[in-house]
Amino acid sequence: MKDTVTSPAVPRAINWNRLQDEKDLEVWNRLTVNFWLPEKVPLSNDVQSWATLTDAEKQLTIRVFTGLTLLDTIQNSVGAPAMMPDAQTPHEESVLTNIAFMEAVHARSYSSIFSTLCSTREVDEAFRWSDENPHLQAKARAVLETYAAGADPLKRKIASVFLESFLFYSGFYLPMYWSSRAKLTNTADLIRLIIRDEAVHGYYIGYKFQRALERESEERKAELKDYAFSLLFELYDIEARYTEELYDGIGLSEEVKAFLHYNANKALQNLGFEALFPPEAAEVNPAIMAALSPDSENHDFFSGSGSSYVIGKAVATEDEDWDF
Amino acid sequence: MLDRLNETLDYHALNAMLNLYDADGNIRFEADRMAARQYFLQHVNQNTVFFHSLTEKLGYLVDEGYYEAEVLAQYEQSFLQKIWDAAFAKKFRFPTFLGAFKYYTSYTLKTRDGKRFLERYEDRVVMVALALARGDEGLAMSFMEEILSGRFQPATPTFLNAGKKSRGELISCFLLRIEDNMESIGRAINSSLQLSKRGGGVALMLTNIREAGAPIKGIENQSSGVIPVMKLLEDSFSYANQLGARQGAGAVYLNAHHPDILKFLDTKRENADEKIRIKTLSLGVVIPDVTFELAKRNEPMYLFSPHDVQKVYGVPFSEISVTEKYEEMVEDKRIRKTKINARAFFQTLAEIQFESGYPYIMFEDTVNQMNPVDGRITMSNLCSEILQVAEASEFNDDLSYSKLGTDISCNLGSLNIAKTMDGPDFGASIETAIRALTAVSEMSAIDSVPSIRRGNDESRAIGLGQMNLHGYLAREHVHYGSDEGVEFTSVYFAAVAYHALRASCAMAREKGMTFKGFEKSKYADGSFFEKYVTRDWLPQSETVTKLFDGISLPTRADWEQLKADVMAHGLYNRNLQAVPPTGSISYINNSTSSIHPIVSKIEIRKEGKIGRVYYPAAFMNNENLEYYRDAYEIGPEKLIDTYAAATEHVDQGLSLTLFFPAEATTRDINRAQIYAWKKGIKTIYYVRLRQTALEGTEVQGCVSCTL
Repeated sequence: MKDTVTSPAVPRAINWNRLQDEKDLEVWNRLTVNFWLPEKVPLSNDVQSWATLTDAEKQLTIRVFTGLTLLDTIQNSVGAPAMMPDAQTPHEESVLTNIAFMEAVHARSYSSIFSTLCSTREVDEAFRWSDENPHLQAKARAVLETYAAGADPLKRKIASVFLESFLFYSGFYLPMYWSSRAKLTNTADLIRLIIRDEAVHGYYIGYKFQRALERESEERKAELKDYAFSLLFELYDIEARYTEELYDGIGLSEEVKAFLHYNANKALQNLGFEALFPPEAAEVNPAIMAALSPDSENHDFFSGSGSSYVIGKAVATEDEDWDF
Repeated sequence: MLDRLNETLDYHALNAMLNLYDADGNIRFEADRMAARQYFLQHVNQNTVFFHSLTEKLGYLVDEGYYEAEVLAQYEQSFLQKIWDAAFAKKFRFPTFLGAFKYYTSYTLKTRDGKRFLERYEDRVVMVALALARGDEGLAMSFMEEILSGRFQPATPTFLNAGKKSRGELISCFLLRIEDNMESIGRAINSSLQLSKRGGGVALMLTNIREAGAPIKGIENQSSGVIPVMKLLEDSFSYANQLGARQGAGAVYLNAHHPDILKFLDTKRENADEKIRIKTLSLGVVIPDVTFELAKRNEPMYLFSPHDVQKVYGVPFSEISVTEKYEEMVEDKRIRKTKINARAFFQTLAEIQFESGYPYIMFEDTVNQMNPVDGRITMSNLCSEILQVAEASEFNDDLSYSKLGTDISCNLGSLNIAKTMDGPDFGASIETAIRALTAVSEMSAIDSVPSIRRGNDESRAIGLGQMNLHGYLAREHVHYGSDEGVEFTSVYFAAVAYHALRASCAMAREKGMTFKGFEKSKYADGSFFEKYVTRDWLPQSETVTKLFDGISLPTRADWEQLKADVMAHGLYNRNLQAVPPTGSISYINNSTSSIHPIVSKIEIRKEGKIGRVYYPAAFMNNENLEYYRDAYEIGPEKLIDTYAAATEHVDQGLSLTLFFPAEATTRDINRAQIYAWKKGIKTIYYVRLRQTALEGTEVQGCVSCTL
């Protein structure tokens, strides 16, 4: 076969010392120091706490986590790779590979939770549930459509930000709720590590969207904004029903919806758009709100590992440091 | 806004509002006070068992087996009525939500199904006072007075357990030696289980265990080294806990010159293999001065086989001063050795601290030079504040003792510096605290671990700690770590040392006995007192002089007199002071932790039992915020200066945590360690990091997230 190259691009080695966009390095550094694996969290300390949940609460929790697993799986295997061809800089591609990998770590983490806390039968049942749940499937499909080959790159980013900054949060609500009630606190630590990552992912993809949008015509800008809002309406609709199905049983649906409103606004903010929900509708229970902040938590080391440790920058000491 | 929220929000939500600024950018302290109030209205009052009278209450609690009848039987009924009346007359109120919540979830006596409360705070305090006073009415009254006023706070095991019928031990902390044989390892695991079951953290010394690949019975490459022992211990601690009240917790210490040191550190790596990863066991490294000297000269450091060292010197590795024998051991061909780069070792240490907060560090030579007691200190404990001498045990094949050594236990309690400074009689408060702690030692006999029992019987070691330093300084408008702040610390701790020794000497006189080995201590020959009789430890600046207004501080003449008394009558306690990190008890006591700076204006506290709760620094309001700079802002040097001033006067150790922003490098951590070592710090506890949220991803309006 003859070696005809259709694309004339010369394969180039990536040079991190020549940056087109400083943000790529900033985010790369943040993501790499934040690297973690689920094994670091002593989930087994939650076994006793898990036993205090009712059967309905256990089922809800497992279902919520299978729902989250699905979203992370999509983002890992389809979402992040689909955005790679759209990358404007080689550094952006590298960041996206990191995002893809961490999504795989997240998906893996839920399985760590399952294997520590639940029986195989319960887990299998929940995965079956997630395969069959119409709302969960609908939101997965809505996002996957925009990821399909040939789709509009900017629309892809919009969907991706919604996934990272909005769709996850109906699920994240539950572990935060448990931890504010002193239950499953180590699981909440792990989820907080995931939230720490997703916050950066949503922010970064949104940032790239905004930079790309600047170069578009007014007409196209209007089209994309319309698209973003209509996709959000569609997703919100599904999400509201999904939330009701999950949380009506323990009477939390309205609180979770307020949390969804807050995060929908946050997702729009990441894209550079104005908020959709008025502040009253987005007033989140302070216990959940405060539980989201991973910073400077003062935990008791003997029962948890916390979410503030990172991989540090190694710098050798010099002679002057040993001056004594 | 608050009024509206008040009706709809529960106490958790009100408490969480502390962490979110109001519309004007103020911290909502009133929301937290409302949370504490709502907690009582919505939860505590509704779930407390009601009794018509004290007699009915005590009768019920004794009959149902909740209270120890023997404790109450030591007193007249009329006195019991009197002490309870006096306690309730003080109208104690919890000033913060976390204080109340922590007390009612973790300390108070509950019905066996865990659903209803049987004690108020006053009941717990009185029971602790009665139990520790052992029938002495006057002493019981003064214990109650000191604890309820907030001046003295016994450590968790004492405060949680005293007076209860089914309970764990009153002691906080245990330290065990492990020697280089299977019997000792097996016995140590058994002891860890036994001690965890009864409460209290356990630390073990691994320094003497032969390294991976060392010969067993002369056959090469047989030993598996220290890692599998750590695995066994970690699982033992997860298994045993004190009736679910406290999780079992353990620490292991290893000398920096043990050949397994790098493997030991790697167990805490982010990407460590599951087979060797250590999740919940705490690590500590014992570093001699020579390691610093080698790093200074940028030379390699040699690691020595403990097995060979023992063969050559006839004593376990831990009994050798590596600094003293270093050159000799390097030259000795009989000792097998490996070498690593000394500076790289320190860098690895810092890398692991970045990833996990561990290991703790004990500066071996500093600790031993400053030890007033005969014998060698080879390890510290779970919170790195206990520093005592121990003696190895030997075992028969059936694990019975062929030679009973001594191991270490320590019961702790802390003074609230602000309350003690405000109190009516500074010296008396310290004496009462020393007597309360001594009572715990006398009441304890851990028969399941005979070496611990013997150690306690012979030493009566206690650890008086301090807390609320930052809260006190801030209230008095003194910056933590400022010259005045350091000066106050020095004067305060010198005065505490004086009164603690005075109280222990008084007890030796009353009881006609001293701790075992007193005659070989630096107290007995008077050399300990040298620095107190040759210079003053009194305030210099006007600010600090004013702080001590109305408190009589020990002069050189007072110290001279004390020296003479101690030399004549001895001391009852081998060890007196140790400054623990004070987690839970400082929340109940409304203090800032230990003598640390605050970690955040609003601290986010997470623990298995209570979940996420928010805690405002003691005495802070929207007007004095400038004095509440947090540990990350204050930086390591000022913190170390403050600790160095205190260390001077503390016979054991102080839990010193270092705080860094996540942007720091391993070099910053190493420099802080070198500075600490140079300033005479004895141990370093955790390294904590704070990562600021990437701009654009932070939670809006969050108090603990802003710098």
